[in-house]
Amino acid sequence: MTEIGLPPINYGAITPMLILFGASCVGVFVEAFVPKAQRHLVQLVLSLGAITAALVTVVWQADTRTVTAGGAIAIDGPTLFLQGAILVLGVVSILLIGERSLERGGPFVAQAAIVVGSDADRNQTVRQPGATDIYPLSLFALTGMLLFVAANDLLTMFIGLEVLSLPLYLMCALARRRRLLSQEAALKYFMLGAYASAFFLFGLALVYGFTAGTPSGSGDNGGGVDFATIAAAVRNSEVSPALLYAGIALIAVGLLFKAAAAPFHVWTPDVYQGAPTPVTGFMAACTKVAAFGALLRVLHVAFGGASWAYTPVLGAVAALTMLVGAVLAVTQTDIKRLLAYSSVANAGYLLVGALAVNKQGLASTMFYLVAYGFTVLAGFAVVTLVRDADGEATHLSRWAGLGRRSPLFAGVFTFILLAFAGIPVTSGFTSKFAVFGAASGAGHTWLVVVGVLSSMILAFPYLRVVVMMWLSEPGESTPSVLVPGGLTAAALTIGVAATLVLGVAPESLLDLTNRAAEFVP
Amino acid sequence: MTAGQVALVATLALPALGAAAVALVPARADRAGRVLGTVFAALALVASLLIYRPDGGWFGYAPANRASAVRPWHELDLTWVPGLELRFHLGVDGISYPLVVLTTLLTLLCCAYTVGRSPGARPGRTLVALLLVIEVGVLGTFLALDLVLFFLFFEVVLLPMYAVIAGWGGDDPRAEAGAHRAAARKFVLYTLFGSVLMLVGVFTVVAAAGTADIVALTGGAGLSRPVQLAAFALLAIAFAVKSPLWPLHTWLPDAHTQAPTVGSVMLAGVLLKMGTYGLIRVAVGVAPEGARWAAPVLGVLAVAAIIVGALVCLAQTELKRLIAYSSVGHMGFVLLGVATLTATGLQAALIGNIAHGVITGLLFFLAGAIKDRFHTGALDDLGGLRERMPALSGLLGYAAIASLGLPGLAGFWGEAFAVVAALRRGGPLWTTLAVIAAVGGALTAAYFLRLLRRVTHGPASPVVAGAGGAPIAGVELAAWAPLVVLALAVGLVPTLVLGLAQGPVGALVEAVR
Amino acid sequence: MTTAQTVLAAGGAVSTGEAVTFWILAPLALLGAIGMVWARNAVHSALWLVLTMLCLGVFYVLQAGPFIGMVQIIVYTGAIMMLFLFVLMLVGRDSSDSLIETLRGQRVAAVALGLGFAALIGTGLFRALEGTSAVGLDAANANGNVQGIAKLLFTKYVFAFEVTSALLITAAVGAMVLAHVERRKGERLSQVEQMKARFAPGNYPGPKPGPGVFATSSSVATPGRLPDGTLTDGVHSQILPTRELTSSEAAPKGTEK
Repeated sequence: MTEIGLPPINYGAITPMLILFGASCVGVFVEAFVPKAQRHLVQLVLSLGAITAALVTVVWQADTRTVTAGGAIAIDGPTLFLQGAILVLGVVSILLIGERSLERGGPFVAQAAIVVGSDADRNQTVRQPGATDIYPLSLFALTGMLLFVAANDLLTMFIGLEVLSLPLYLMCALARRRRLLSQEAALKYFMLGAYASAFFLFGLALVYGFTAGTPSGSGDNGGGVDFATIAAAVRNSEVSPALLYAGIALIAVGLLFKAAAAPFHVWTPDVYQGAPTPVTGFMAACTKVAAFGALLRVLHVAFGGASWAYTPVLGAVAALTMLVGAVLAVTQTDIKRLLAYSSVANAGYLLVGALAVNKQGLASTMFYLVAYGFTVLAGFAVVTLVRDADGEATHLSRWAGLGRRSPLFAGVFTFILLAFAGIPVTSGFTSKFAVFGAASGAGHTWLVVVGVLSSMILAFPYLRVVVMMWLSEPGESTPSVLVPGGLTAAALTIGVAATLVLGVAPESLLDLTNRAAEFVP
Repeated sequence: MTAGQVALVATLALPALGAAAVALVPARADRAGRVLGTVFAALALVASLLIYRPDGGWFGYAPANRASAVRPWHELDLTWVPGLELRFHLGVDGISYPLVVLTTLLTLLCCAYTVGRSPGARPGRTLVALLLVIEVGVLGTFLALDLVLFFLFFEVVLLPMYAVIAGWGGDDPRAEAGAHRAAARKFVLYTLFGSVLMLVGVFTVVAAAGTADIVALTGGAGLSRPVQLAAFALLAIAFAVKSPLWPLHTWLPDAHTQAPTVGSVMLAGVLLKMGTYGLIRVAVGVAPEGARWAAPVLGVLAVAAIIVGALVCLAQTELKRLIAYSSVGHMGFVLLGVATLTATGLQAALIGNIAHGVITGLLFFLAGAIKDRFHTGALDDLGGLRERMPALSGLLGYAAIASLGLPGLAGFWGEAFAVVAALRRGGPLWTTLAVIAAVGGALTAAYFLRLLRRVTHGPASPVVAGAGGAPIAGVELAAWAPLVVLALAVGLVPTLVLGLAQGPVGALVEAVR
Repeated sequence: MTTAQTVLAAGGAVSTGEAVTFWILAPLALLGAIGMVWARNAVHSALWLVLTMLCLGVFYVLQAGPFIGMVQIIVYTGAIMMLFLFVLMLVGRDSSDSLIETLRGQRVAAVALGLGFAALIGTGLFRALEGTSAVGLDAANANGNVQGIAKLLFTKYVFAFEVTSALLITAAVGAMVLAHVERRKGERLSQVEQMKARFAPGNYPGPKPGPGVFATSSSVATPGRLPDGTLTDGVHSQILPTRELTSSEAAPKGTEK
């Protein structure tokens, strides 16, 4: 009987996660003990403060390169960069979530348990302030995301995946208006997400089997699921590689589901449409960063030695994702669904970058994640502003003539759409250029061709919206654009400014990604 | 920063500033906004004239340490985004300078024209702002010496042009309601397709060469043959869409016909030149081996464009559409010149570019004036213009004759030298092409004379007789006069263009050989 | 007993006993899984799932994992599933599945794809693992099974283990958010008010008849009747619609003898 002791843990390196975790627990207590009238303010301040504190510690840790907590957590360049990105985008999302001036009580339902359509429901829709549970839930999700991109073994990564997913499922169900759609979205996301997790777990088991006989960090020959052991096994395991391939495939299914890549994208439009718009923005920005952060680590660190095996298949997935996203976006009539399909297509572009298994690919993908995150948050911020008596007016026909009603916001939205379309002097161009440049440098020219072709297709739905806003006459049913409250205005400004700055002067961020683009072994 | 660099930046920055300033003008001061835009366009013209560097001599200015084929008079090289091989690298030499001046001049004329004639329902100041944005893109394309920057400016033009056609086009009452939108969509679709290929071409070159500097790349430095072939194919198709080269030209007639007058002028006078300029500077310069490989194909397509353009023109019944198709033929001559890859051919292409810009710009102005007055562009309805409006029909005759290539006017040199270059290239293929192109030149004369016979001569049609036929306004004269003068000047003194281009073209041909 | 099983599975060879047990229980586990999906009745589904879980528990034990096997049986099957059954029984079992296919051919496609996927993974794994023997069981269980798991949980995976607490908190918060209706003070009825409402004119103050009360049978499947024999909706269970019984249903079930 040997003594076991806690492995050395570098608490400094995991402080950001601990801060967020602590803050979310405090948030739960706030729900229980703080009077209802003050909860919103307390929670908002608590969340913003916690995320900022976590961000500060991430920046403070900027030079840390370590593997800690018994090999479960790797704090290195990509981790810190992606954690920072998640936190910054998280701040912007929280600003959107906290907005209460657009609608009485905010965008979230007061009590999700009240039956839809009942008298009590109608009463709460117009009167009661929204539930503030959303804040601890988003903090939990952010905790999971930070862990997801830092995980250094598949098991920890799986736990991270669950910790980030579960709150998201819940947050989807909390829309104030169109609650049935929202609940359906949550259920759909939950069911499919559970399947994807199961796939991930199955793949994990197979990979564990593959590492049998490979010396692991702890000294025995039993293998393991930490990335170093897997990488060693990929190099010189004697077990049949069929296990490895099946394992990679299944793990990729789990990760690509979260990243919304075709053919695992079918949940995206429904969930994006049904979820409350701030939550949709949160998912589109932060979840995407987390999913691709994990995918990058898995592909580069664990399975980097087998890149010749997975590149063709994942390349096909990337091509399919770009094309499916672009083609289906053309047919959409709802702005949120359109942005959802555009998010699918963007997952394809990101995958193109992620498949370039070298430093440039890693750096450009990380750059793309940040650039896209800001733009998409700004996009959904505008969506929250265009309203009529029944809440947000998301049908595209309603947006006709918006340029006359509100030139400023139509102009801002035009700029955002142009950024999505990858027009120069927006971050959309620089990021696409970086990703495609990396792919072409890695020899994946065919992916670049598919990428630019699909971005050409994808430009059309955006242009259609632009044309509709500016060149159509406003009609009776053209909704009004509300003047945003301080929080949404801040989020919108940050998003648009980042889109512009990253389009005009992206050098500093490109530099940062380049310096960060190295995993610890 | 030298004075030349300042002028270089000013040429690019003034229209951009102007566009921003005009966009901020409130709606009630529409006319003031248009005037403001015109002032900025005029300043840009002045700046572009200041770029000229006589002491550079005909052979350009060559820093001692550089033995490149591109020797810009002035150069500005700033780091922008080195991570993406993107440098803010501008420069001007004898190949690009005439085009730069042509661009600033035509933009000024278009802005001035808009001041005088409000474009109708939609705000005129927005149109002026869009024209200035287009100018920025076009000038940037001509000035860029970095491949990525070149692509960037190439893209900038697309959306404002789309907006101009979709927003201000379609004044033809007989066309169905959405025709201008459809034309604009077609324009964007084709151009985007071209951009996509160009982007891939740029990636190919940059990935293979490790640099995007056009100065360093010219002459195909270090690119292997397969890379050059692939790059040239991609880039050439991209530029062929923009030029447009038959059979990729089908967007052009619709766009021209539906665009407002100033849109047509910009499109024909300036935008098409981006394609041919790109072909010379980027496609031929960067991938000479690919150019040599593809030259016969390019030549055959160019001659096909000449013949097809001419034949289609013979059958046209609409004024603007006819002029649009004549552009296809003229650009065919330009491309034929490029395809020969000789100094004479490239010179012919450059002067053909300028001549086409001046003359077709004038033709579209005149066509716009006619349509403004009689609200129709159908040749059948326009007979007898000479009797109602002798001055207008005289100008139309002048422009048409210049366009068909009468010696002494600008159109002659480009067409003649293209044929000569093809003949000099020798061999059965090129000789045949030269002969067919010459026949095409004759056909050009045929359709323009047909145009004149139908429109200016003959009995006055009811439409012409019935309409008021306002006399030519001062603003119109002001817009046309520079073009009329230039068409004559370039025709009489072709060294205005050829002299400038001689040195750089010689160096380019040396490098390409 | 732990050692006995460890010895049984160690060395990689599959003993006869293990093989026999596997071939008996594996079909049962599969049957339970299919039955769980197939059953129209939620209670039946839960019971099928219990069967599968029990079989899995035995498998774990057979494969030298007595701790996880026991946990599976005690916690999963014994506690969680029983709790689940309790909830089902309390809430009422309702089998109103929608039988309308919104996507044409969805079921066929799902079954075909599912079978294809299973075949793909199954054959792949079979080929990959043919002739492979298990390794490392001895080392893993060297100091005892529970100790081995504890060592991993509290060293290598201690962070993951601690973070699962976040999952539990989230789940608890989620359950509250989605299921708890907060009554404000004004909406809550005091005892006096409840009493007054109960005896207010027009209300029937007595307990409502349960299902089957005064009916010809005391099954929950028969609708409630008032003392005068008329059918009524005023019964506690809302599961069954008011309907006339067929003569066979109405016939005495032999309980009166």
